[in-house]
Order: sequence, then C-alpha cells, then structure tokens
Amino acid sequence: MALPNQQTVDYPSFKLVIVGDGGTGKTTFVKRHLTGEFEKKYEPTIGVEVHPLDFFTNCGKIRFYCWDTAGQEKFGGLRDGYYIHGQCAVIMFDVTARLTYKNVPTWHRDLCRVCENIPIVLCGNKVDVKNRQVKAKQVTFHRKKNLQYYEISAKSNYNFEKPFLYLARKLAGDPNLHFVESPALAPPEVQIDMAAQQQHEAELAAAASQPLPDDDDDTFE
Amino acid sequence: MASISNEPEHEHRDEEESGANEDEDTGAQVAPIIKLEEVPVTTGEENEDTILDLKSKLYRFDKDGSQWKERGAGTVKFLKHKESGKSRLVMRQSKTLKICANHLVTSGMSVQEHAGNEKSCVWHARDFSDGELKDELFCIRFASVENCKAFMQKFKEVAESEEEKEESKEASDAAGLLEKLTVEEKNTEEKKEEKPVEKEASDKAVEENKTKESVPSA
Repeated sequence: MALPNQQTVDYPSFKLVIVGDGGTGKTTFVKRHLTGEFEKKYEPTIGVEVHPLDFFTNCGKIRFYCWDTAGQEKFGGLRDGYYIHGQCAVIMFDVTARLTYKNVPTWHRDLCRVCENIPIVLCGNKVDVKNRQVKAKQVTFHRKKNLQYYEISAKSNYNFEKPFLYLARKLAGDPNLHFVESPALAPPEVQIDMAAQQQHEAELAAAASQPLPDDDDDTFE
Repeated sequence: MASISNEPEHEHRDEEESGANEDEDTGAQVAPIIKLEEVPVTTGEENEDTILDLKSKLYRFDKDGSQWKERGAGTVKFLKHKESGKSRLVMRQSKTLKICANHLVTSGMSVQEHAGNEKSCVWHARDFSDGELKDELFCIRFASVENCKAFMQKFKEVAESEEEKEESKEASDAAGLLEKLTVEEKNTEEKKEEKPVEKEASDKAVEENKTKESVPSA
C-alpha cells in the first residue's frame, strides 16, 4: 500500500512492514536492495521511512512498499499505526547481539495484534561477523510461531534476496515463483559534448585515486 | 581473504550439523492474497551476442560524499547487437537479476586502472539503468588481475571498433560527396573546358580516398 503522496503502480504491490530492535540492520538491508550500497554508518531511523522496491518475477513485476520502522523506543512514533494494512512482514535481529533476539517475541506480538495471518520472515542479520552471540541452532522462535527463518548478511549479500522471494511466493500462493531478468532497455544514443567530456575525465582521474570500500573479498555472490 | 567470504558458509555448515534445513518452510499456512499468471520473460538482450561475461563488483562514485559506493555484485557483460552492431555494457545483480549498469560503449570512451587496486578499473558513462540517462563514474572490481585486464582490453577494443565504424562512415560519406562533385564537374567540363586544374585536384582526392579506405567510389 502506497502512501497518499506516493505514486501507485499498475502492477501488484504489497505493504511490507520491517521491525526489530535498533541497530539490527533494517535500514541497511533496505538500502542495499534500493541502491546496492552498504551503509556502515549508524543513523537511527525516526518514525518510519517507506521505500518502494520492485522485483521482476516469472509472474511479472511486483512491488513491495517497505515500511522501514524505527527500532529505537525513543524514535518509535506511531508504532501500531505503521502496521495497519501490513500484508507481510520481516522481523530482524542481530546475531551478534543476544538481546535483539530476546526482543523478537515482543516485536512479533505487537505486529500480530494489528496484522493477523500475514506471512512473516524472521531474519538473523550480520552472519558475516565471526563472533556470533546467537548461533543458528539457538534460533527456535520461528518454529514455535510458524515463521520462516533466514540467516542473512546485508554486508556480504548472503541470502539477501530470500526474504522477498519467500514473501512473494506466499502472497501469490506459488511455491515456484522466482526472480527473472529485468528487461535491459536499449540506451538511447547521445551526442558527445566535448566540454562535458573533459570535465568527466578530470573527475574520473580524481575518483580513480579514491579507495574502494571493503575490497578484501573476492567472491561476488 | 578467502576466510572472510567463507564465514557465512561456515555458519551454514553449522546449521546443517544441527539438522536444520535452510530451505525448509516453517512458515504458517496463509491464504494467498493475489493470483499471478506466468508471463514470458523479456531480458531485452534477445537480439544481442555476449562478447564477454565476468563476475564482478560494481561501484559508482558519489560526488557529494567524494567516495565510491557499491552498486551491485554479479555478472558484467559486453553485448553486441546482431543487426545494428552497436555494443553496450550490461551488469546485473546476482540473485535478484536487477540491472546495475546499462550503457552504450561508444568511440571516445576510455577505461583506466584504479590507482589503489590492480583488480579494478574506472570509466565514465551515460548510464540508462533506471530508464533515464545519468552521468556516472563507475569502478569495477574483479576476482583477479587477469579478469580486470581482459575486461579493460575488451572495453578498449569495442570503443576502438566504434571509432573505426565512425571513421569509415565519415570516409564513405566524403567519398560519396566527392563522387557527386566529380560527376557534376564532368558535366560542366563537357560544356566548357577551361578549368582543368580544379578537376585534377578533385580526381586526386578521390584516388587518395580509394587507397586509404578502399571504398569503391567510381
């Protein structure tokens, strides 16, 4: 569901609510999908931020309106108001911070008070970190409450597509739904402006000496 | 280096040992809220041949923050259109298969090494990923120096072949014009023969053109 000031689209769209303690990586996860970037700096979300995220599937294009909510109590805002008409949800915790897993039942309870019978994915984020406090086998809450569980890493992109894929399959009732190539439209021809070209080259020379973030991994999955 | 990227895999093994199946559906039975029909997939690449295909990580330069930011990790390709012969670079994010880069490779485009990382290189492009043209500075990083070299070489080859295409087009255009000129002059020559100098000059130009570009003009 789009906000009143947000464009509506002519293909299926769903309201996805993302909850969990502050600092578990909800915003970073959404941003990763939006622009590809991995934001290391922590800036707590205030209230809620809604981002449209499109995916191409073998059943056409779909959109999730991601309601990225504040995890920190003091920045919480409307709470229940954000959950209204939620059609699916992600509950995020941080595998390197035990307390964030302990708080999962509270997030789940609050969510379910407003949204009944919606598909929910529990995500244990930051599995790329060596010193985990919550091991995979210690995660049992999803079994008790019938949630789907994924270990993810917004940093390494490990399983980063799985929560959306699972939710799309449940919403459409199609276990075979999968992501497909989005159409790569033919780029239009452009006239080369010599002055602009020179400026780009100067900028490029400067950029070429700026270091790359996290260039220590050599597998790109 | 390898141990860092292997970390999630290690945890994955841990999970397997505990008997948990990663793809096991433990979710509740919920009623679907929409019925979707299968549709044919359009990649937009149907009329193109892949001329290079490599795993890589792409960055775009954020001018405001003066820093490189990740754009996506997946497969970068050079594609050549079967009919028009035009070439472009297309990169897709792995798993979601979304587009991270989509731009023509044209004459005058240049690619250069990244100063601090020999597995990566940089270039400027008018990118069409979002369906609108945007100036972007891109940096791409490969798993090996060899792959980076192969990418740069292919990039240069494509840009140069575009340049040659343009030159030969210009040359054949020029040859066509000269031919027209010659014919017109021959016509005037028949009427009056007092301008032999100019005619010789234009004949010579046509000759030169023939030898240089081997474009038949007569």
